[in-house]
Amino acid sequence: MEQRQVLVAEPVGQFADVRHRDKGRDTLTLAKYAATTAVAAALLLFPIIVKDPYLVGLMNFMILFGICCLGLNLVLGYTGLLSLGHAAFYGIGAYTTAILMTRHGFGFLPSLALSGGLTMAVALFLGIPIRKVRGDYFCLITIAFGEIFRLVALAWIGFTGGAMGIVGIPVPKVLGYPLRNETDFYYFGLLLLLLTYLTLHLLVHSRFGRALVAIREDELAAQSMGINTPLYMVLSFTIGSFYAGIAGSLLAVYQTTVTPSNFRLEESCLMIIMVIVGGMGRLWAPLVGVLIMTVATELFRPLDQYRMMIIGSIMIAVLLFRPQGLLGISSFGD
Amino acid sequence: MFFNVLAFGIMVGAIYTLITIGYSMVYGILRLMNFAHGDVYIFGTLVAWSLLSGYGWHPLPALLIAVLSGGILASVVEFVAYRRLRASQHRMISMITALGAAYIIQNASELKWGNQVLSFPSLFPPYTFSIGHMTLSLTNFITLLLALGVIAGFHAFLKHHKMGKAILCASEDLSTSALMGIPVNRTISIVYFLGGALGVIGGILYSASYNVIGISMGFRGTIVAFTAAVIGGIGSFSGAFLGSMILGVAENFVGVYVSSSFRDPIIFLFLILILLVKPTGIMGEIEIKKV
Repeated sequence: MEQRQVLVAEPVGQFADVRHRDKGRDTLTLAKYAATTAVAAALLLFPIIVKDPYLVGLMNFMILFGICCLGLNLVLGYTGLLSLGHAAFYGIGAYTTAILMTRHGFGFLPSLALSGGLTMAVALFLGIPIRKVRGDYFCLITIAFGEIFRLVALAWIGFTGGAMGIVGIPVPKVLGYPLRNETDFYYFGLLLLLLTYLTLHLLVHSRFGRALVAIREDELAAQSMGINTPLYMVLSFTIGSFYAGIAGSLLAVYQTTVTPSNFRLEESCLMIIMVIVGGMGRLWAPLVGVLIMTVATELFRPLDQYRMMIIGSIMIAVLLFRPQGLLGISSFGD
Repeated sequence: MFFNVLAFGIMVGAIYTLITIGYSMVYGILRLMNFAHGDVYIFGTLVAWSLLSGYGWHPLPALLIAVLSGGILASVVEFVAYRRLRASQHRMISMITALGAAYIIQNASELKWGNQVLSFPSLFPPYTFSIGHMTLSLTNFITLLLALGVIAGFHAFLKHHKMGKAILCASEDLSTSALMGIPVNRTISIVYFLGGALGVIGGILYSASYNVIGISMGFRGTIVAFTAAVIGGIGSFSGAFLGSMILGVAENFVGVYVSSSFRDPIIFLFLILILLVKPTGIMGEIEIKKV
């Protein structure tokens, strides 16, 4: 549907090099800037006002998942590919950083870059079947990949440490400044989140992003418009997974340990839920999903034994009444 | 050794068929990945465990009630979590509500039965006999016969009973079936009921031959069903049978001859390779997309 709206708004066609303009954007601009400034200020001042390390730690957790979910939204919300192996990419990033830093004496920033790069390479390799395999079969490949990753991490004790994982990851240094406590990690994580958002914003509002939306709405139509659909899908999958790798790398140094239990299918599902509850196909909406699911999980912590039941009920309730997610574009349809 | 592994693999394959049929049928009709399937059948199997071990019931009524409970739970899940989302929504949405339902059932089972592995009683006397090179236990033999019997019965139901034919029609084309006067909602409820019930039969047979049951097996069950259905060709009855057999036999051979801790990764790798070579599975037909 959005594609049609674009065509109405842009008579020159959506792939002409004209920026997509929202109707009524000017009237909203002021309110939007005010809201953005307020959110930015609140985020920047958060650890200064709220000194509780528990709450800052919670924010760090949300930042990690936020980076993952922003990337996943590119794959799921913009391209319409259901990837249930996102936690495995998160894990590849984490294990790469853990192994490089503990055994090969790498610094944090090179490890971060290599983690992202390696994750991308694996995703590219895994994405190649997209040429032939679509829809649910692709989803199954990602599930299978996620399980392979987790089971190999459990079984290949010599390389990954098995169920105990890898411990004692050293304190990371960013340009000579060590990240020691929750607040340090918070600001560095916020920076990465901001970079993730900005790069994805540029990507989504480019010809590339519009092509992805076209593929999501109707692959066949997109193909006949001259879009190399398999290539765009593989690229979207690869780029989306890259961010998971980055987040994983940050997770490794943040936790100072990595274990296979961080990267189960449950985590992949949680990421999907966050994206869907927030709303697919709108760039910042997954962050709202991350916030809602994290706060819900924490609020119900006293009822820990009923936690899954509550999360499951939230998922069903949200989707029964707002199938497009809380903030998703209203016409996300088949 | 070889023949023993083969015989055991065939038995596991027959059990997997029971678990896969329900999953594959739901997929055939609704194109929905039913993530709750594994948790539903584990729930039914745990009910059987309670009745057998906890209350000391006679196996026959206990199993009957367990199978019914699995079937009813599956149709309730369909009614609450899927039915309203069926029309015109993106399929991904009902997959997520399926996951939600899976979480709820899993949590409820955990509250009732805990998350440790329980020991499931044997249903048949421990007795072994040999045919040629094979050493079979009575349990394996009866399990295989029972599973094959249920599969054959279900196949006959699909081919000859009016309701079975309605199910096949619905999986061919849901909206046309509705136009032909097939009560679509009722048919789908029955598919879920039968799928859940067959799954519980499979779950009980599996647990009775391995003597274990635990809620963590539910998710593996979902994955097994999905994998078997895809290997064979998702949505088709013969595909579910073939895929499950291949999976059951392959799994046992890999477990015995290659490595038991790398068994599942190898199976998944195998799955990815199959999808690369023949994305629609062995018995599946290529869906041609028309504009």
